[in-house]
Amino acid sequence: MPNNNIDIINVIETQLKDKVQIQLGQLGKAAIVTNNGLHRDTLKAMVEADEKTAISAITGLDLGANIGVYYHIRTSNAFLTIKAEVPKDNPKIQTITDIIPGSAFHEMEVADLLGVVFEGNPSPGRLVLPENWPEGVYPLRKDFKANEVKLSPPKEEAKLPDEVKLVKIIIGPQHPALLEPEKFAVTVDGETVTKVEPRIGYVHRGIEKASESRTYLQDVYLVERICGICNSIHACSFVETVEKILKTEVPPRAKYLRVVTLELNRLHSHLLTLGHAGLEIGYETLFQYFWRDREPIMDLIELTSGNRVYSSLMTVGGVRRDLKDSDIPKIKSTLSELRKKLPFYRQIYEDEPSIKARMKNVGVLKREDALKLCVVGPVARGSGVDIDVRKDEPYEAYGEIPFKEIVYTQGDTWARMNVRMDEVEESINIIEYAIDHLPTGPFRVKAPRVVPAGEAVNRVEAPRGELFYYVKSNGTAFPDRVKVRTPTFSNIPAFLKTAIGENIADIPPNFVSLDPCFSCTDR
Amino acid sequence: MIDFTLIFRILVFPGFTFILLLTLFCDWLERKLEARIQNRVGPMVAGPAGILQPLADFIKLLTKEDIVPRDAKKTIFKFAPLVAFTIMVFATCFLPIDGASVLSASGFNGDLIVILALVTIANFLLFLSGWASSNPYGAIGSARVLTQFLGYDIPLSLLALTPAFIAGSLSIAVIASSQIIPFIILAPWAFVLFIITMQAELEKDPFDIPHADSEVVGGLETEYTGGKLAFLHLTRDVQIVFGAALVVELFLGGPYGPVFFGFPVFWYSLWFVLKLLAIVIITEYISCVFARLRIDQVLSANWRVILPAAILSLMLTVALVTWIYPMVV
Repeated sequence: MPNNNIDIINVIETQLKDKVQIQLGQLGKAAIVTNNGLHRDTLKAMVEADEKTAISAITGLDLGANIGVYYHIRTSNAFLTIKAEVPKDNPKIQTITDIIPGSAFHEMEVADLLGVVFEGNPSPGRLVLPENWPEGVYPLRKDFKANEVKLSPPKEEAKLPDEVKLVKIIIGPQHPALLEPEKFAVTVDGETVTKVEPRIGYVHRGIEKASESRTYLQDVYLVERICGICNSIHACSFVETVEKILKTEVPPRAKYLRVVTLELNRLHSHLLTLGHAGLEIGYETLFQYFWRDREPIMDLIELTSGNRVYSSLMTVGGVRRDLKDSDIPKIKSTLSELRKKLPFYRQIYEDEPSIKARMKNVGVLKREDALKLCVVGPVARGSGVDIDVRKDEPYEAYGEIPFKEIVYTQGDTWARMNVRMDEVEESINIIEYAIDHLPTGPFRVKAPRVVPAGEAVNRVEAPRGELFYYVKSNGTAFPDRVKVRTPTFSNIPAFLKTAIGENIADIPPNFVSLDPCFSCTDR
Repeated sequence: MIDFTLIFRILVFPGFTFILLLTLFCDWLERKLEARIQNRVGPMVAGPAGILQPLADFIKLLTKEDIVPRDAKKTIFKFAPLVAFTIMVFATCFLPIDGASVLSASGFNGDLIVILALVTIANFLLFLSGWASSNPYGAIGSARVLTQFLGYDIPLSLLALTPAFIAGSLSIAVIASSQIIPFIILAPWAFVLFIITMQAELEKDPFDIPHADSEVVGGLETEYTGGKLAFLHLTRDVQIVFGAALVVELFLGGPYGPVFFGFPVFWYSLWFVLKLLAIVIITEYISCVFARLRIDQVLSANWRVILPAAILSLMLTVALVTWIYPMVV
């Protein structure tokens, strides 16, 4: 059994005494200030002490003369930040991909947007910016001027010889298996996949940069637009982060109302994916059934927030709208209707022979690989890694609500889908419990518009996994830096690993079992 | 002297026009049925209950721009869909629909073999049409068509021999007319296997691997537009009607039915169409309640299960017909 009681701070203190500076209580459990490449030693010490050490995100930020590179690390029982700085005129830092393989994408993003060179990263190159973006222009630096960017004309793609063209299948940016534009160049040998090359960034909207020029209140609605499906979790995470800097205490009723909204969001997101998986394996009947039963949940979101998709319910200091007592019977009856249908769906996902044939032993992600690649959410839980922010670091009212953490150990597509299937039921339980135990009192407190200088990190459990926010304020009404790391960004490496050696036909079910959301990934 | 009856039989009934209308009707029935099973309404605008929707779709496709890709093998790309369609309609003409086949004199002892061969050619033309489009999705889709149908063609022929053996003839007309007791009762195991094999041969779920849009986009149809696409779709629909009609002729007693008086052509056609629709409903139902299998799963199922079962079925039939049934009947 993994030891969950490791005191990671103690480990670092004993191993790297006097070399690093530990600031307790900042940016998670502690911020560890390192320099001269000591971030690698710190990480090594953490990985050796705790097998569940994984990278949550790498935040790059412009600190004036220097560029800050913050490694946000989660361990089995703590969340820490390793701070490093590099000079702006020579922004070079050693890679950590050899210690934590899952950090490759994170490093590439920082390299793209801030120009930090990660020495030793195995796959340098563009990740989010277009190929014809000019060299030496980095959008997230403060001296960046958008109207001075001159794109070079797009390069003609080299014409491939016939024998190459027939074995290289391009999935995306427009493809029926993907609902959003991303590109995966898949090389096949007959029907077997031998290589997958990803290219994300097709719908990069620069929301992180745009939020720096808007007030905190405007940003709540901006970050909500990062993802259409899990919108309220983005807004919730952002306001929680701001509340941490403001040290605002949210009234208990608001916490419960937030939980109701978040779980409704999870419900409709999971139902969407469970149905979508049916579509990907040619089971259209299943798809139609799930989406039919998802519709009442959408109605509930409209009932509780006034909007069908973008709930716009979260605000700094609480929620914007109270739940009327007269609406509660409707919520309860809708949920119990859905609960009645669940055994049928569970039976289909567990026992239906053609589903089993297509999902069992497809895209197997072993526990070791899941830990190495730092996957999050149902993907990790399907591989036997029990991480769920709602349990590990309860936010809002989750600490007071009883619910089960669903973990399957098979690690295949079937397990990942069944994690979601079981979580649907848990979500219904959580909503019913929250409504039954709804505290009375105010549903919001007034929060100041101007946020004092400070910084905070926050993690929440989105339907697709751990969602990470970092906000740095500078004493004005505008944030200095907002960093978002969405769950799909962490989960794509899992797909790249598991697709190799499998059939082309396994790509769609394997892929949809990650519940990919590329609008999230691109931001 | 021109034989107007013959021209009428070829062009109108039971020839081209009738087969075309039946195809469009079956397409509508399938779509409506699938929609109802999936809790949708299906086509409902064109005509009463949307019955004209397949025709409207066909005409719409004919009006669309017709593009031939620069790298395509142009001749094959252009003509393969048309020839495949023609061959499928031609094969259907051998089936006795109103008591006799379309060309009354064309039926001969052994036409069962001819139509099975024609289906093979039509499938091969479909493969060529995708291959000629020089598109990776088209190439993979076509390769899948070929792989799948190479596997299922042998069991299909073996299973088609079961009714031929009971009837003691390779002529479809004789097989149909000798079914005083329909062969579905005499050899139900062969009927079940035949339906499954047919499902694979017609590329319907759970065997619609060549058309898996989430894997190979449009499969062999990817590069097709306009009129050629319309004919590819129509070929597929005719294939489904042909498959159902073949089952009717081989196992359900063809156009012969229990109620029969007065105008014979009417009753023959009525029984034929009713039985055909029943088969279409069964196959559509099967395709609605299963997910699509993977090509390797389908192939291993074919060589390990369907082929031995088809041989066993033939052996069982031979044994029963030779020694058991003469004692009973």
